[in-house]
Amino acid sequence: MTPTHTSASDVVVEARDVTMAYGDVDVLRGVDLDIHRGEVFALLGPNGAGKTTTVEILEGFRRRSAGDVRVLGTDPERGDDAWRGRLGLVLQSWRDHPRWRVAELLAHFAAYYPDPREPAELLALVGLTDQAGRQVNRLSGGQRRRLDVALGIVGRPELLFLDEPTTGFDPEARHEFHLLVERLAREEGVTVLLTTHDLVEAERLADRIAMLVGGRIRAHGTPAELARRAAAQAEVRWTADDGTPRRERTGDPSRLVWELHRDADGPIAGLEVRRPTLEDTYLHMVHRAADGTDATADGEARAA
Amino acid sequence: MKGTHMRRYRRAGLQRGGIELRQLLRNPKELSGHLTNVAVALALAAYIGDDVPGTQTPMAHLVLAGFAAYLLFQIGLVNLPQMLVTEREEGALLRLRATPGGIPAYLIAKCVLVVGTAVGTLALLLLSAAVLVDGPLPHGPGGWLTLLWVTTLGLLAVVPLGAAIGAVLPNPREALALIMLPTMGLLVTSGAVFPITSLPVPVQQVASVFPLKWMAQGLRSALFPDSARAAEAAGSWELPMVALVLTAWAVLGSLLAVPLLRRAARRESGSRLSARHRKAAQSGAMPG
Repeated sequence: MTPTHTSASDVVVEARDVTMAYGDVDVLRGVDLDIHRGEVFALLGPNGAGKTTTVEILEGFRRRSAGDVRVLGTDPERGDDAWRGRLGLVLQSWRDHPRWRVAELLAHFAAYYPDPREPAELLALVGLTDQAGRQVNRLSGGQRRRLDVALGIVGRPELLFLDEPTTGFDPEARHEFHLLVERLAREEGVTVLLTTHDLVEAERLADRIAMLVGGRIRAHGTPAELARRAAAQAEVRWTADDGTPRRERTGDPSRLVWELHRDADGPIAGLEVRRPTLEDTYLHMVHRAADGTDATADGEARAA
Repeated sequence: MKGTHMRRYRRAGLQRGGIELRQLLRNPKELSGHLTNVAVALALAAYIGDDVPGTQTPMAHLVLAGFAAYLLFQIGLVNLPQMLVTEREEGALLRLRATPGGIPAYLIAKCVLVVGTAVGTLALLLLSAAVLVDGPLPHGPGGWLTLLWVTTLGLLAVVPLGAAIGAVLPNPREALALIMLPTMGLLVTSGAVFPITSLPVPVQQVASVFPLKWMAQGLRSALFPDSARAAEAAGSWELPMVALVLTAWAVLGSLLAVPLLRRAARRESGSRLSARHRKAAQSGAMPG
């Protein structure tokens, strides 16, 4: 699907057949990932799909059960301080340092890195210049998350993790946050791994999306590729002679409709041809995983 | 290369300790927690008129020396664990874990904060007592030296232990409840506020296992005239025993603290943090 002829140094994250089991519960059942330098990569999936587990394995916070992982050329389980310094993290539920002042906190965390960004510039980048002297626990949710982003990139990381960054945001805060991520990727060249359960957010921000459902990557590619692939199998619905509703998926709906007409020798009751959107495909996958009818065979879902 | 990193982390740690000390001074609520002890000690000292039985030492002095020891004890075993648990819950520990050199810097900062708080409150207590209620000050260089080593060793006895406790306690509210009761029990039974000899022998023996009794005894030896040792349980200051018990607690605390802190830091991850915040939000205990 994606061209794999990029050089090794362009691959920032490489995961092969990663599994994770807690007791007898399989959370990840063989995840493969390739994330390239400079791209915004979205790991899309419903809650409980294994997104956070995947990200924590990549961050070196969790030991995988099996599989190979390289993040910036290093196995995260053996990552040292120098390696940590090349990563930036923005987690969902940080409420730390509530009594620090915004600029003070940013300047302090700059002190850990050999070549940090200028705190004042960083505040301007994330739009918190006016809040520089404010105490951290007086920030709004959106401001707090933007401060987390500033703290995440103060050490000029090569890879930035954003774990469900817009959960609980109002539409305006979400919009501003999206603009910030786009600016980081386009102007600052930061590689971003974003997790989200929101397809719209993934389509909007990501160069490439991997859909993680039920502990497996079910599909991956650019948003356009995924949409094209989703639409490749059209769904034809009609009502059979005996009155039962019929549904069939096919890559060639025109032929199927022609065949139906030929067999019926007349108009077809309730005939409908639909091209599924990416959202249809995503929801279909999520529902099937939730129903437990979680077979490996995608598509070809015939029903009578 | 490694050296420059360590220098940077040390600088970050010292800077962090300084900022946290300043925040403590700016925070009236937390500051009053430390000042209350000083005020209570001064009030008791002003109120009590008797002498320690069998000596010319005012009972007020015994209370002041006892509270001085208790200040150190409380900073190490109550304030420090509470701080560690709170910062773990908020995610500060996780952020520092994700930062190169964050954990060493954190430990340095906590040392700065603990030593700063301890020295500050101890000096405040002894000086204000000396000025306001004719409290005791060390006699001569020997007394100051004893004050210095008992304070240092006393902190070393309780700080690693407090760090170990802070690493295993579940959350700030339960932490306080779990620690306060035994601490107050020791305050009463360790001879810090009245002579230990007035307590039943089994109680004395239990209290002798813990550091507070020895910290108070060591401070009395630093602050009192030598004649006052007649009122001690053994009839002497037992300074070698003070050093031995406090050192033993320091060693035990360190043996526990290092692996427990490492485990606490390693266990932190984003999902654990959010799970805890969800639980706290459900119980309505933590502001959204």
